Parts: sequence; structure tokens; C-alpha cells
Amino acid sequence: MTAPYNPPAPAAPLVMEARNLVKKYGSVIAMNGADFELRPGEILAVIGDNGAGKSSLIKALSGATIPDSGEMFLDGQQIAFRSPIDARRNGIETVYQDLAVAPAMTIAENLFLGREILKPGPLGRLFRLLDKKKMHDEATRHMQGLQFAIKSMRQPVETLSGGQRQGVAVARSAAFARHVVIMDEPTAALGVREGNMVLDLIRKVRDSGLPVILISHNMPHVFEVADRIHVHRMGKRAAILDPKRISMADTVSVMTGAIRPEDLSADMLAG
Amino acid sequence: MTQPAPASTAPPPRRFQLPSLSTLGPLIALLIAVIVFSSQSPRFFSGTNFSLILQQISYTAVLAIGQTLIILIAGIDLSIGIVMALGGLVMAKLATQSGLNPLLAIGAGFLTTMFFGFLNSQIITRLRVPPFIATLGMLGIVTALNQTYSGSQTLSNLPPALTALGNTFKIGGTAITYGTVLMLVLYLIAWFVLSETAPGRHVYAVGNNPEAARLSGIPINRLTVTVYTVAGLLYGIAALILVARTGVGDPNAGQTDNLDSITAVVLGGTSLFGGRGNVLGTLLGAIIVGVFRNGLQLIGIASVYQSLITGILIIAAVALDQVSRRKG
Repeated sequence: MTAPYNPPAPAAPLVMEARNLVKKYGSVIAMNGADFELRPGEILAVIGDNGAGKSSLIKALSGATIPDSGEMFLDGQQIAFRSPIDARRNGIETVYQDLAVAPAMTIAENLFLGREILKPGPLGRLFRLLDKKKMHDEATRHMQGLQFAIKSMRQPVETLSGGQRQGVAVARSAAFARHVVIMDEPTAALGVREGNMVLDLIRKVRDSGLPVILISHNMPHVFEVADRIHVHRMGKRAAILDPKRISMADTVSVMTGAIRPEDLSADMLAG
Repeated sequence: MTQPAPASTAPPPRRFQLPSLSTLGPLIALLIAVIVFSSQSPRFFSGTNFSLILQQISYTAVLAIGQTLIILIAGIDLSIGIVMALGGLVMAKLATQSGLNPLLAIGAGFLTTMFFGFLNSQIITRLRVPPFIATLGMLGIVTALNQTYSGSQTLSNLPPALTALGNTFKIGGTAITYGTVLMLVLYLIAWFVLSETAPGRHVYAVGNNPEAARLSGIPINRLTVTVYTVAGLLYGIAALILVARTGVGDPNAGQTDNLDSITAVVLGGTSLFGGRGNVLGTLLGAIIVGVFRNGLQLIGIASVYQSLITGILIIAAVALDQVSRRKG
């Protein structure tokens, strides 16, 4: 189905890195020296129990919160996001859990929402005239590239199934991301079939060359697509696991603290 | 990768469908009304009468463009007619009692109505007051303002510039006012902006899913301010059309136009929840109200029944819309 994953040499430069992130809300410590590494072309799952602070980490990476201290790097360059828009300008796209699509609008309109293609020439810019044909053609081309079978880009998103809607959100981020796609529980509200469809889409995004950060509670899904698993616990990274070498049960034990990462055999850890 | 794409397992999307009941219903109602009134009154089906109907609805129809824009972003404006009345008073008073150049007086009227649209938007975006409450409050404030500003007096003896939109030209023997033409042109402009420009689509997105719009980088507050202020400009134009038609600045004008404009919007198939609808539907809605009012009058039915029928039409239009959506 998909191209085999060839892990890049550990020496390959990291796409995204965070060091020692700290975020406190009053006396609550959401991030307590959290580290993070994303390699080129991988699907990195981020898992953690509720309250482990993984959403704070993801918010920091996507620009939704500003950490109190710590450093973040994108392609080796130090970065500091002030807003999600800021992160997006830097080529990081986030697919939100609650389906950030406008249901009554068409697929093409949703793909280009806020980034419409305007007609060329001064009139197009002055009156911000939409180049509907170009948007439609590019949407079709892009969706075909992801092998996302939709008859017409002119259908309203609300005529789609839940999985297809999520697919539109994924496709939209893949279309505009230049560095990283972050997906927050993209399969949470979906049935088996639809969930698999979205997983397929996530693999295709990875195979197109974009690294994916996948936040998920669904262990089977994580094990199905992730190349590495970042386990978050007590506000920091507990371990990076190799899903091909560790069982789901052991992974959950690391996540809940029943097994200490130090007690794992070294080959279960991803490099 | 020869396998069929997984999305094909989902139910096939409905692509070719009739226009929804919400647009078809009102059109059918209009057709039936025209047929019935034509058979009952020989005076109904004539160019002159149709021109009169358009002239009668013209200022409410222009207000309804503003109301459509506002409802599309999931807002509402209850101060719409009263603000229009204030605009008319400002124009009339400045042009007569203050002796200002009539064109400047018109400009001052426009600025006044735009200011109150802007003020509504500030109350909504900065103070976070829901649009219904913000504009309900503004309705009370501007009602009082209209009475004090005019001394509860109707202002007449207006200079010709203020009544120019009431002048007519002839097409094949039918006299048409410039105000009617202006109204139709404004509808075309509004339709074009809403469907063919990026800000127009943003209006729909904000009403449809504000969170999605925000995450897409659409400045929601700025768009809200723009929509209410542009609506304010439309109220000013409506004021000019009304002043031209009646020849006076009337402090009691516009009192039912908040509900009349909402009626036109709803009959035209725009959802009160925002994000769905079409401004040309609003024109259809305004025409339906005008045709019923005119037709019932011509066949000699008492005016109480006009509001009865408008009431039934509104409920029927929204009920049809709900039914068609549930099926969809």
C-alpha cells in the first residue's frame, strides 16, 4: 500500500526540536522541562495519559500557547511563535480535533479558506476577486494526489461523511504545510472504516515528504501508522519507543508509569 | 497503488439536486400569488403596477441587503429602520434648517447611519454583547434620539437633490423611479461581492463556523465591524430612497422595518443561524411581501389580513426549510 519507511540516519537534521520547555498555570505545572524531536519524513505519535501535559506541548509547537521558558527549533533555526497564525506562516499546519471546516461551504472553498487564490492583475487584487476555476482545479489535483475520491470539489462539506470531512481537513493542512503537519486526534470521532481511511491519508502525507505529529489516544491506530512514539508523562518526555519492537501493553505501562523507561530493554527505545 | 481510494466506500454524495425547498417554495408562492391576483384584479398584472410594487418595497429591500449581510455572519440588527429614519432626518434637517449644501447633507446622513452601524459592531465585538441585545438597546436609544433631534416634527420643503431618486424615467410607457434602479443595482453588487470575492466568502465562513474561520486566519472582529458599517451605509441609502419617495424627513419612519427586513431575509431562504443564504433570495422575499400587500389591497381585502398572510408565509418558509434540511 504505502512505501516502506526508511528511517533516516540519526544524524539527519531534525525538522523540529524543543528543549526544556516549561509552562506553568499558577501552581499547575503543565510542562516541566519537556523535550521534543521530530525527524524528516516520519510519523511521530505523541501519547500520554490525560493531564500528562501533551496538549500543552502540542499547543506550544503549534503556536497556541507561549512557553514560559525553553527553546524551539525549526530546521535548526530557533523559533518563537506568538500565535497559531505565526506557526502557520512558518509552514506548520495543524488539524484540529473539532473539524475546523465550514460545513455549508464547498470542498474547494474549505481547502482555500483564508488563503483564496485571487484573479491575476490589479483588479483582482483590488477587489479581491476569486479565481474560482484555479481553486477548483488545484483542489481537484491535490485531492487526486492524495487519492481522495470525491466526485466534485463543488459539494458542500456537510454532504460528506465524517471521515471524508476529516479527510478534507487533513488534505487542507497537507496542501499548505511546508514543514510539519500536526494532527490532534484525527480519528477520534470516526468509525473503523473511516478511521482507516484517515490513517491511509496520514501515511500519504508522510510519503509526500511531510513529517506528521500525530496525537492520539487510539493505541491500535498509533501502532498502525507511527514510526516512533513519543511518550509524555508528568509534563515531560518519558521515552521515545519503537512500535516495531515494543508491545502495546508495555507502551501503555510506560505511559501510566507502571514501567519505568529505564527498565525497558534498550532495543525497545527508538534511537 | 492500484487500489481504489478508500473514500469511495462512503455514501455517494448527492450532486445533482433540485434547488432546495427553501428557494423553490417562495418562488412557487410568488407565482401562485401573481396568478391569483391577476385573475381577481384587472389592474394587478401591468407594468405600471409592478413598477409601483418595486417602488413601494425599494427602501425596505435596500435595508434588507444590510440585514442579509448581518444575518449571514450570524448577527441581527433590530435598530435598522430607526437608524435609517435618523439618517433621513439628518439629511432633511441639515438641508433645510441649517441650509447646508444638499449633497453634503446627504453625505452627513450616510455618515450618521454608518456611525451607528459601526457603534453596534463595537458593542458586539468589544463589549461582547450579543447582537440581538446590542441592537435592541440601540433601537431604544435612536428612537429617543429621532424624537428629540426632530422635535417630533416632520421636516418638509426638501431641496430637489434629496428627492431626485423619486424621479422617474420611462421604459415602454412604464415609469420607473431611479430609487428602484438603485435598489436593483445594489442587489447585484451585493450578490457579486458575496459570491465572487474573498471577503464575501469570509462572511459565509464566519457565520458557518466561526472557530474554523478564526483558525483559517480570518479576522472575525474586523469582518464584523466592516459588515455592520457597510450595512449602515445601506441604511443611509435606504433613507435617501425613502425621503425621495415621501418628500419628508419623518421621525416616525422605519418603526416596523426591523421585522420587515428580517421577513424578507427569511422568506428568501437565508438561515437566521448564519452562514447560509443568498442575497438575491432576500430580493425575492421583499418582492413577495410587496406583491401580497399590493395584490390584497387591489382585490379589496382589509389590511389586517396582509399581516396575517405575511405571518403565515414566514412560518411556512422556515418550516419548509427545516423539513428540507432534515431530509438532507
